[in-house]
Amino acid sequence: MRKSGERNGFEYYLWLFTRLSAILMLCAGAAGIVYANLWGRTLMDAPAQYRWAFFPIYWHVQNTDVPDVFPVWSNAFWRVWCTILLFLASLHGFNGLRVVIEDYLHPPVLLLLVKGFIGLLFMLVFGAGTVIIFEWF
Amino acid sequence: MRRHRAGFWETLRYQGGIGAAVWVLHRITGLGILLLVSVHVMAAFFMNALDDPISTAVTRWYESRPVQLFVYFCVLYHALNGLRVLLEDLYPPLLRHHRELIWLQWAIFIPVFGLPAFFIAQGIVIGNP
Repeated sequence: MRKSGERNGFEYYLWLFTRLSAILMLCAGAAGIVYANLWGRTLMDAPAQYRWAFFPIYWHVQNTDVPDVFPVWSNAFWRVWCTILLFLASLHGFNGLRVVIEDYLHPPVLLLLVKGFIGLLFMLVFGAGTVIIFEWF
Repeated sequence: MRRHRAGFWETLRYQGGIGAAVWVLHRITGLGILLLVSVHVMAAFFMNALDDPISTAVTRWYESRPVQLFVYFCVLYHALNGLRVLLEDLYPPLLRHHRELIWLQWAIFIPVFGLPAFFIAQGIVIGNP
């Protein structure tokens, strides 16, 4: 049982974020599949649709024979979309890791260090992903 | 207040029934996505920045069929189970049908996972990466 205190508000917002980001990611995945089927004509295979839905970066459809990958599948709209999705997914994921670790790791100082390390990993993965989107997309 | 520490095998022996099993699976699949997708993002970053053999090998490994099968399992299970948890949180009367919802979830999961998994395993849908 968690003791009631000032941390509960923070925990509540992260709990809420987990739910809200889940809804947004599910909607983004569904929208990605709809887009892939509207614009991919008949040339998209199932794995490419799935990769595109999961993360709509044009590399994910490059190995299919979609003819106009660059102008249609790579533009500012998808960059912003990808960045938002990357932010939601990485924060959802690393916050989930924190929740799991808090269940199994109890020494307070060690827990604080591990949580700091998780925050560092989050910034690393989010930063690297953002560079991929804006530098090589 | 003494905290109870449950280990891995104790978790498996826990008599929580199907509810506990899907909860454990939700954690495992969530951690699986986090690990594999983070590795994939970092490998893609270093492959573009340095073009070194290690990140190329890691990317090849990530794109191999067994890993893709595992990622697909994790993403689909985590999404479906998360959707069920969401719906139950938004509309608590659904909890009366908790068990039936879990069976419905498996009824969706098995064909939606099984069919592409069969083709991935056969090497028909994706060509050699």
